[in-house]
Amino acid sequence: MAGNPTGKLSRREMLKGSAAVAAAACLGGLSFASGCRHKSGPGRGQARRVIVIGIDGMDPMLAQTMMAAGLLPTFAKLRDQGGFRPLGTSIPPQSPVAWANFINGAGPGSHGIFDFIHRRPEEQCTPFYSAAETVPGKGYWNVGDHRLQLTAWPFNHQPPATLLRRQGVPFWDHLDEAGIESTFYDLPSNYPPSPSKHGRHRCLAGMGVPDMLGSYGTYQVFAEDVISLQEEGGGRRSPLLFDQESATATLIGPENSLLKEPKPTTLELQLHRDREANAAVIEIPGRKILLKTGQWSPWVKLEFTMSAPALVPDKKVGGIARFYLQEAAPNFRLYVSPINIDPSNPAVRISEPGEFVNGISSDLGLFPTAGFQEDHKAFSNRVFTEDEFITQAGSVLDDRLRLLDHALHNYDDGLLFFYFSSTDLQSHMLWWDPKEKHPTRSAAEAAKGFDHIHRLYQKMDSVVGDLVARYGDKATVLVMSDHGFGNFGRQFGLNTWLRQEGYLGPAGCKSIMQDVDWSRTRAYGLGINGLYLNLKGRERDGIVEPAQREELLVELQRKLEAVRDADGRQVIGRVYRADKVYSGSATALAPDLIVGYHRGYRASWATCLGGLTDQVLMDNDSAWSADHCADAAELPGVLFSNRPIQAGAPSLIDMAPSILTRFGLSVPGAMEGKNFFVE
Amino acid sequence: MTDALAQIAAWLNLAANALGKPLLAFVGVMPGWLSATLVSAPLGLVLLVVFKYTSNQRAIRRVRDDIKAHLLAIKLFPDSLWVTLCAQGRVLRGALLLLVLAIVPVLVMALPVTLFLGQLGLWYQSRPLRAGEEAVVTMTLNGAGPDWPAVSLAPSPGAQATIGPVRILSRRELCWNLRARENGYHRMEFLVDGQPVEKELAVGEAFMRTSVQRPGWQWPAILLNPAERPFPPASPVRAIQIDYPDRASWTSGTDWWMAYVFAASMVFALCFRSFIKVNL
Repeated sequence: MAGNPTGKLSRREMLKGSAAVAAAACLGGLSFASGCRHKSGPGRGQARRVIVIGIDGMDPMLAQTMMAAGLLPTFAKLRDQGGFRPLGTSIPPQSPVAWANFINGAGPGSHGIFDFIHRRPEEQCTPFYSAAETVPGKGYWNVGDHRLQLTAWPFNHQPPATLLRRQGVPFWDHLDEAGIESTFYDLPSNYPPSPSKHGRHRCLAGMGVPDMLGSYGTYQVFAEDVISLQEEGGGRRSPLLFDQESATATLIGPENSLLKEPKPTTLELQLHRDREANAAVIEIPGRKILLKTGQWSPWVKLEFTMSAPALVPDKKVGGIARFYLQEAAPNFRLYVSPINIDPSNPAVRISEPGEFVNGISSDLGLFPTAGFQEDHKAFSNRVFTEDEFITQAGSVLDDRLRLLDHALHNYDDGLLFFYFSSTDLQSHMLWWDPKEKHPTRSAAEAAKGFDHIHRLYQKMDSVVGDLVARYGDKATVLVMSDHGFGNFGRQFGLNTWLRQEGYLGPAGCKSIMQDVDWSRTRAYGLGINGLYLNLKGRERDGIVEPAQREELLVELQRKLEAVRDADGRQVIGRVYRADKVYSGSATALAPDLIVGYHRGYRASWATCLGGLTDQVLMDNDSAWSADHCADAAELPGVLFSNRPIQAGAPSLIDMAPSILTRFGLSVPGAMEGKNFFVE
Repeated sequence: MTDALAQIAAWLNLAANALGKPLLAFVGVMPGWLSATLVSAPLGLVLLVVFKYTSNQRAIRRVRDDIKAHLLAIKLFPDSLWVTLCAQGRVLRGALLLLVLAIVPVLVMALPVTLFLGQLGLWYQSRPLRAGEEAVVTMTLNGAGPDWPAVSLAPSPGAQATIGPVRILSRRELCWNLRARENGYHRMEFLVDGQPVEKELAVGEAFMRTSVQRPGWQWPAILLNPAERPFPPASPVRAIQIDYPDRASWTSGTDWWMAYVFAASMVFALCFRSFIKVNL
């Protein structure tokens, strides 16, 4: 009233006052409405921020050893301040299964993902990727060599689509419903990303996102010492012929789905070598890249043209790749990374909302988008040396750290989830617990790799340290992994064992996809941990009567747990029965038994796709020499928190309930997990 | 003949640069959409005036009246197929005649418009490098044979060569990878067999006159790259090019600026038409 000596309320003051009252009433109403939805736990004021850092494959035993040695100060601080527990993993402890457990707050019976690979029993055992499925389009016109699809009315043709196979309700839907923002970066088991009903959930999909070739990473190598085109698991090598130190390379791009018989698109690269400079010029249309031997290019945009029917404009599809000049001379070798979906102009939807990824890209520029970014296949196929793999994987981590900076810069409140793959994919290739002898590497070589893993844990410690320093007093910080890690020195041929024990025939059978006799087969293995009965009424050529099922399961369980290696070691720790460990409405495709291997063992490479080998037990001579697809009880993940953890043995399915209760929400009935912040 | 054309193109560029550099300097201090729109208004007006005084306005008016009459005939006699067809044919003939009558003004305007677009392209066709950003510089050499001159690139505050020179033997080209350092216009100084050769480099965040290529002695290349003096025919260097990044914009970006300027100038021309009393 100081400004109004008459004591009367001026018109301006009255308007200001009315506006303030109206605003207060609105805010009050809103907070009352939102408060009504919060049933238990701390109020929103206490937990407006929850940050979850997913460090795939971080092992509790190694973490404990390193904390004891003072090498992980941040994690040790979190342990002392809030808590550290081994985090119970999924059965089986495979990443798609484990992350889906995290997402649903419930086991595989709720989300229907039981292994990397599932099979279609109505087609007997046709395998498919468990987390997503591409369904063909419906309706088109034939125009010459092409198919013309018109999606508009009245034609309503349906283009091919990729569907998320994960079932159930993800926990962020409950946050979305309650008006709480959630943002996920590189979340596994969520491709294509599930939609947000209220627009408060954003997600950049991670593991499961394919490259532009529709695979989980296909590198391409162009080299003078390649005699003819070689296709190999995860990549291809093409020969090069230089004339006046110039050569043409044909880069394979995405398939042209506009053709009746789809063929891959291609892009011509002009390669020019300068022996004196020990360097090369790579020309892609509209751009030159210079690389010295041993040098990587930044991410580069590539554009592929899909020919369309006459009078219809050709379709341009963009991707991004990196080039690595391994050698300029005498033997020119150029590595081209898997062609990733371009985040600035994605060819398919990889984020929710769709434009979320474009926004990230306008801030960060180009960054990799494929689900598996560390090129372990190039290392396994000896395209990369160990040092080259470490360099490539290091750049993946650098890209992720840029993304983390972006995530934190744009984080205000709500839930923030950020995922790191480095500790998983690098551990697969470089982890080796020195208590055992490595099947292919010398002790010194194995120790070098394991030292790198130690340094990686320290790096993660410093990353989490920065985050805790910034948010430790303002947010609940949870650091978790989906499983631990162990040596993979010996491989077990499950189908070979079944054949040896008389469950699978004929005697000379090489693969359940080719020459198996289903009339003589009572059980078969597919995927990394799955064992299926050839059940009558379920499998197309099933022979096991439902009445014999129980007896056969008990028999197989007993015999498998009794398998011993030549040195007497137990190969399989525990065989789980799906009907005992899974509950829920999504168990139709579950295996009958889940084979839980002991540390040091895993299903053979051949077993994963139904193959058989001569021997049941063999050394694992792959560069992929550590794994986690074993007995869930042996390889838990980690859980660190800056708030006290009360539960003695939390597990992955407890993450979602605990996060929801931090925001003051009640735990939905469909969740099997419990809040680990209370006893 | 080609030498003479190249020389003429070089002289024309001198004049265009002398006018274009100061007149278009405002482009560097305002948003791209605004400058492109501001450029389009006088361009539309000038094109309209030139059209008025270089075209046969009386003939155009007559043809337009004819077209109107035939359109009226189509409207009045819709039931008479013969009248409708004849009138449609005459409308078509009239439209073609209008195109013929536009030939003289188009020929008169072709060269100045090309020079003007050349000047505008310096601002809109590419964006300058940002500090820390990398680009490839390509020097194309004259001559043939296995002997290559000794070429070096002197250090510059504007950019640092991170790789190069790397030779493309089949094309007599030398490439460097540059990392931009300081904002501003810089001269890159090369020595080719002891002979100094220069190329301009633009580093900055805003709109800058960006010369993609210092051309050789070919008149089309000279017209398209007006900012820098062309290399004389006797020079060991045929051209030097910097792969500047594209500029992304619907009004002033690499792919769209020309379409936008034409469309906007046409809109302005149509707006001014009744004031200047021009038959189009």
